[in-house]
Amino acid sequence: MAAVRSNAQKIGHRLAIAAVIAITIVMLSPIYWIASTAFKPRSLATTVPPTVVFSPEVTPFIKLFTKRVQLQKKPDQATYDEAPWWEKKIYDAGERVLKVAGGPQMSAYPSRFLNSLIIAVTSTFLAVAMGTITAYGFSRFKIAGEADLLFFILSTRMLPPVVVAIPMFLMYRVVGLVDTHIGLIILYTAFNLSFSVWLMKGFMDEIPKEYEEAALVDGYTRIEAFFKIVLPEAATGIAATAVFCFITAWNEYAFALMMTNKEAQTAPPFIPAQLGSGITDWTAIAAGTLLFLLPVSIFTFLLRNHLLRGVTFGAIRK
Amino acid sequence: MIATLKPDSSHALRGLSDLRIRNLFIIPTIIFLIVFNIFPLIYSLGYSFYDYSAAGSEEPVFVGLQNYRDLLSDPNIWNNFTVTAKYVIISVGGQVLVGFGVALLLNRTLPAKGLITTLLLLPMMMSAAVVGLFWQLLYSPSWGVINYVFGLGDFAWLSDADAALWAVAITDIWMWAPFVMLLSLAGLSAVPKHLYEAASIDRASGWYTFSRITLPLVSPLLLIAIIFRTMEAFKTFDIAFIMSTQPTTEVIAIRLYKFAFQEWQTGKSCALAYIVLIMVVAITNIYVKYLNQVKER
Amino acid sequence: MSKRTFASLMAGVAMTIAGASAAAAEELTIFWAEWDPANYLQELVNIYSKETGVKVTVETTPWSDFQTKTFREFAAKGSTYDMVVGDSQWVGAGATDGHYVDLSDFFMKNKLADKFLPATVAGYAEYPAGSKKYWSIPLEGDANGWAYRKDWFEDPKEKEAFKKKYGYDLDVPKDYKQLRDIAEFFYRPDQKRYGVALYTDNSYDAMAMGVEQTIFSYGGDLGDYATYKVDGITNSKESIEGLKAYKELYKFTPPGWAKAFFLENNQAITENLAAMSMNYFAFFPALANPATNPNAKGTGFFANPAGPTGKRFAALGGQGISIVSYSKKKEAAMKFLEWFIKDETQKKWAELGGYTCSTAVLKSAEFQNATPYNKAFYDSMLMVKDFWATPEYAELLTSMNQRVYPFVISGKGTAEEALNGMTKDWEATFKKYKRYK
Repeated sequence: MAAVRSNAQKIGHRLAIAAVIAITIVMLSPIYWIASTAFKPRSLATTVPPTVVFSPEVTPFIKLFTKRVQLQKKPDQATYDEAPWWEKKIYDAGERVLKVAGGPQMSAYPSRFLNSLIIAVTSTFLAVAMGTITAYGFSRFKIAGEADLLFFILSTRMLPPVVVAIPMFLMYRVVGLVDTHIGLIILYTAFNLSFSVWLMKGFMDEIPKEYEEAALVDGYTRIEAFFKIVLPEAATGIAATAVFCFITAWNEYAFALMMTNKEAQTAPPFIPAQLGSGITDWTAIAAGTLLFLLPVSIFTFLLRNHLLRGVTFGAIRK
Repeated sequence: MIATLKPDSSHALRGLSDLRIRNLFIIPTIIFLIVFNIFPLIYSLGYSFYDYSAAGSEEPVFVGLQNYRDLLSDPNIWNNFTVTAKYVIISVGGQVLVGFGVALLLNRTLPAKGLITTLLLLPMMMSAAVVGLFWQLLYSPSWGVINYVFGLGDFAWLSDADAALWAVAITDIWMWAPFVMLLSLAGLSAVPKHLYEAASIDRASGWYTFSRITLPLVSPLLLIAIIFRTMEAFKTFDIAFIMSTQPTTEVIAIRLYKFAFQEWQTGKSCALAYIVLIMVVAITNIYVKYLNQVKER
Repeated sequence: MSKRTFASLMAGVAMTIAGASAAAAEELTIFWAEWDPANYLQELVNIYSKETGVKVTVETTPWSDFQTKTFREFAAKGSTYDMVVGDSQWVGAGATDGHYVDLSDFFMKNKLADKFLPATVAGYAEYPAGSKKYWSIPLEGDANGWAYRKDWFEDPKEKEAFKKKYGYDLDVPKDYKQLRDIAEFFYRPDQKRYGVALYTDNSYDAMAMGVEQTIFSYGGDLGDYATYKVDGITNSKESIEGLKAYKELYKFTPPGWAKAFFLENNQAITENLAAMSMNYFAFFPALANPATNPNAKGTGFFANPAGPTGKRFAALGGQGISIVSYSKKKEAAMKFLEWFIKDETQKKWAELGGYTCSTAVLKSAEFQNATPYNKAFYDSMLMVKDFWATPEYAELLTSMNQRVYPFVISGKGTAEEALNGMTKDWEATFKKYKRYK
C-alpha cells in the first residue's frame, strides 16, 4: 500500500518537475531574448526567425555609455585609424561619439544608475524597517480603530500617480526637495510603506504570540523579544517585502520623471530613450535593460533562502 | 512548555511599556503617511470642483459638480471604465491562475529551488516601460518572435481592436504572475506537513485536501497579493500606453494622463482621479472585508 | 473653507514656488527633446561658450515626456530652464499664458521676419496669426516628407509591369492618386512587401499630422484659425475626401501598422517592408547612412505630392527657441539669441546637422546638394501648414484622435461621421474657452 502510494507520488513529483522546467523556460524566453539582443549587432536584432547563433558584440554597451549622433560624413581614414577600438565600433555602427574637452562624452547612464542605487537601497531599507515595526504594532497590540487605520494606510496607494504628481511637485518646490536624492527617497518610502505594512502584518499574524510571551517570562524586555525572537521568525516576510519594495523603487518611472531635472535623475526614464530617434536600436536598450536587471536580481538571489523558508515556524507549533 | 506561557507583566514592564512601544511603532508611520498624502488629497479634491489649468494663467473658476457631471455623461469615459474593468479581470485573474499554479508546483523539494525561484521573479524586476516596448516587438507580425514560434503568420495582435487588450493583459500577466507566485509560495510553505499526512491517511480526495487544507491556509497572503494587484491593475498605465493606442485598450489611467498632462485640464483630471479613487476604495473594501472573514475562520 | 480661500491658498503655494530656486551666474540651460538635433545644438553652443565664457547646457528628455516635463515647470513658474526649444503648437499657450518672453521688439529690430523662411516665422514664432507678435526664434525647421525605395522604382521589370497596369510611368508620385496606385502596386503580402508606411500612432499628434496634410492637399482644412469657425470647413466635402484618401492608403500598409510613428516608418525602409514611407525630414539622416540603413543607396526622398486640384501641403514639424519668462537670466538668454541669429551661426548650425530656417542658407546650392533629402526639405518648407496652435490644441488632438482613428484603422463608421463628430467636439471646446464673440 505504502509502496504504491510512493510510486504514484514519485510519478507526480517527476511530472511536477517537468512542468516547473517547462514553465521556467516559457517565462524566461523573453528575458533570454532581451539578454541576447544586448550582444547582437543591430542588424540581427529583428530577424525572423530570431538569430540564435552569432558572434557577440560589445557595441551595444559602448553605445549605452557614450553620447552619440548620426554620422553625416564618413570620418577620414586618418581619424578613423587613430580612434581607439571602442570609437571605431561606433563609427562602424554609423555614429560618432560626441567630444567634450577632447575626451569622449559619457552618457547619463552611469550617474543615473548610481542615483537609482542610492535611492532604491535607502528607501527600501526605510520602508521595510518602518513597515515591520508598524506591522508588529498592529499585530500584537489592541488599537482603537485598527481596521480603519490599516485601510487608511492601504488607501495611500490608491490615487493614480499621474494626478498626485502635480500637487506633489508643487509641494516639493516649496520645501526644496525637487531634484534631490532625499526627495525621491522620501517619496518612494511613502509609496512602499503601505505595501510594507500590509505584507508584514500578514506575516506577523502567522508568528504565534506564545513565543515572545515565553521570552518575556524568561526575562526579556519587549524590545529584546521583538529583535531576538520575532524578527528572525519574520525573516521570510522581511525578505519578500524587501524584494518587492526594492523592485518598485528601482523601476519607478512617473515620479522619477516629474520630480527631477538633473542631479537626482534615475535610470528608468533613460533606458527607453535608447531606442533612438532615427533608427530603431533594440540592442542599446537591451544592454541598458540587462545591466539594470543585475542589481535587483542579485539582491533577490542573495535573499532566496529567506524567501523560501516560509512561515513554517508558527505552523509547526500550532 | 504551554504551562509557562502566562504573560508576566512585571517582566514586560522592565524597559519600555507596551503602550509606549505600540505608540512608538505605529504613530510615526501614520503621521508620515498623513503629512505626505494630505496635500495631494486636498489639492485634488479642491480643484475637482474648479475649472482650472495648472499650466495656464487664468484664475480657477468654481464650477461645483460640473466636472463630475461632464465626466459621467461622457461615453468615452464609460468606454475607458469598461476597458479598465475587462483589463483588471483578465490580468489579475490570469496572474492568480498562473502565479498560484506555479507556486503549487514549486512547493516541494526541488534541486536548485532558490535559483529557479529567483529566475521566475525576473519578469517583475523590469521596468514596465521596457517590458511594454519589448513585448510590442515580440507581438509584431513583421519582426516579432511570437507569430513565428506559434505559426500565426501575419496576425497583428496589437492592430486588431479585439485582440489588443488580450495582448496587453498577457504581457501584464507575464510580468506580475511571479508576484502572486512568491506570496502564494510563502503561504503554502506555512501549511504543516502533518495535515497533509493526516489527510492522506484518511484517503481524502485531492480536491478535498486542496479546498479544506491548502486554500484556507494560503488565502490570507494570496488575498493580500490580489488586493495589491487589483489596485495596481486599476491604475495601470505604462504597458498599455506603450503597446497600443487602440480605443479598445485605453484604460482609465491613459485618459487621466491625457487630461492631466497633455491637455492640462487640471480640474477635470482631479475629478476623474476622485472617481477612480472612490471605485478603488469600494472594491478594496470588499476584498478587505473578505480577508478579515478568512482570517477569522 | 470657502472656495475663494481655497483658490487663494493654492495660488499662495504657487507664488512661494516662484521664488524657490536660486541661480548660478553665467550658465544658461536650454531644454529640448532627446534626439540628434539637440546634440548638434550642444556642439553649436559650445562655440558660444568658448567665445564668451558663458556655459550653455542643452538638457534633454525623451520625446514622449518632453511636453509633460516642460509644462510641469511652467505650472510651477520654475526657473530651471532659461530657454525652451518648444513644439510649434505650444506657441499659443506660451504666449497667452505668459510662459514665453515677448520677442516682438527683438524680431523687428533684427528684421527676422525677412531673414527666416516665412512659413517658419508663421509656424514657430508668431501668435496669434497675423498679429506681428513674436514669441520664439525659428531654430529647427521640419516638415513631413517621404522616403521611397528608388531601387524598386527603377527596376525595369517593375516599371514595365506598372506601366501595363496603370498606363503611366512608375516614378515619384506627382499627386495622391499616383501615390495610391504605387502603394497598391507594391502591396504584395505574399512577398512580405507592402505599399506605404503611414503615421497611425494616436497617443499624441502623429496620426493627426499625416491626416491633416492629406486633408489640406485635398482642399479641405482644419478650420479658420482666426475666427475659430470649423463647421462647414473641417467637415467639408474636400476634408472628407482627404480623410477617405488617408484611409485608402492605410489598406496598403504593412501588417500591424496601427501604432506607427517615426521609428516604425524608418524601419519600414530599412527592413524592406514598404515602398514609400512618410516621415519628418529630421529622421531622414538615418536613412541616408549606409551603416544604419542597408538600403541607403537605393533610398530616395520626395516632398508631398499634390491633391486632386493641385494643392500641395506638408505638415509642419520643428521648433523655435523661446526664452522662459520665469528665467532669472533673461538678459543673458537674449544675448545668446543675438548670437544665434547671426548668419555665420546659422551656417555653422546647418553644417553641424541642424535644419536651419535661415532663408539664405536654405536657398544656397551648397545646402541643397549637401544630402539626398535637403532639396526635398527645402521644397517642403515652402508648403508647410500647421495644426492649431491655440492653447487648447491638445484637446482638439484628443477628439480628432478619438473620431478619426477608429475609421482609419478599424473601418468603423464613415469619413463623414468621423469629421462631423470631430467638428461638433471642436465647436464645444471652442465654446468652453469662449473663443466665439
